[in-house]
Amino acid sequence: MPSSRHFAWAAAALMIAAVATAAGVTGADAIKARQTHMKALGASAKAIFQQTHAATPDMAVVKAEAAKIDAAAKALPTWFPAGSGAGAKTEALPLIWTDPKGFAAKQHVLALAAAKLNAVAQAGDAAGVGPAAHDVGAACKGCHETYKEKDKT
Amino acid sequence: MVSMTAPVTVWDLPTRVVHWLIAALIPFSWWSAHSDHLPWHRLSGYTILGLLIFRVGWGFAGASTARFSAFVAGPRRVRDYLRGRLGAAVGHNPLGGWSVLAMLAALAVQVGLGLFSIDEDSLEPGPLSGLLSFDDARAVAHLHHLMFWVVVGLIALHITAIAVYARRGRNLTGPMVTGLARLPPGARAPIMAPAWRAVLAAAVAAGLVWFIAHGLKL
Repeated sequence: MPSSRHFAWAAAALMIAAVATAAGVTGADAIKARQTHMKALGASAKAIFQQTHAATPDMAVVKAEAAKIDAAAKALPTWFPAGSGAGAKTEALPLIWTDPKGFAAKQHVLALAAAKLNAVAQAGDAAGVGPAAHDVGAACKGCHETYKEKDKT
Repeated sequence: MVSMTAPVTVWDLPTRVVHWLIAALIPFSWWSAHSDHLPWHRLSGYTILGLLIFRVGWGFAGASTARFSAFVAGPRRVRDYLRGRLGAAVGHNPLGGWSVLAMLAALAVQVGLGLFSIDEDSLEPGPLSGLLSFDDARAVAHLHHLMFWVVVGLIALHITAIAVYARRGRNLTGPMVTGLARLPPGARAPIMAPAWRAVLAAAVAAGLVWFIAHGLKL
């Protein structure tokens, strides 16, 4: 029978291992995952704008991408776990974690805009999609301006 | 010092207008991009694109000093010029000719990259960014940023050369403003081109820019 002391040591070792692993995840891995999510979100936004700028928008594309944007906007608050401000090259500014209220407010603006865009798109409102998509882009920009590093070059 | 002729026109009006508009629009483009005035940045880029197209056409149809055939020199002529074996040039000298080509090429690359660029929020897509994926269009936008410094480098070289000539008593800026310069005795005065060619070249350039700005659609 393992003594309770052995058990305590094993538990402590496991906890240390878990914390170390978690730190690894929230560093480089979380940054990589976030960048993948953001690129996909950007690609969806670009795809929608291409339709809203077109003479005759393809509503099937708009509906599919608007749904993706809505889902991404809802998931976005989970893309910035504590400790994911370093560990790999990232343009996410430390302000994200030192000003969580301000950052959450920006996320809320996006969530509202994305939900509206999705609603307008699924309703097949081709005329309403343009302004709604613009609000999503403006929400992206509104947050990037404050919480994302500017291009250095 | 040999006596020079009375001032004659060496740079025709279209060449000077193109030069000074580009000189003004490069800083304007930089400023409008960095102060978040992307619609102005876009217009500035389209204007530069039109000026470049016009200038290339003018390089074949313009005044004798504006033509590529007159100022694009082979390596031997460049070397002879550097060794002082050639007299003062009328128009671009053999080295300056290459500087002109380098700047036109760098600006063409820079405008070309801008056409395919997109901002991270897709609010201001370049007119040809639809041909690329979001990631590729973003990569092009980064190249567009880097390429600006190549353009700046060439401008620095250009201004340095002007300063070097000024120290040697040769004013290059004045003739680019007025078009007039005194020539060495015996030098042939440049031949000007008829105005209708400039109008035609400007119309062609404007049409091409319109077509490109509409994403290559009529």
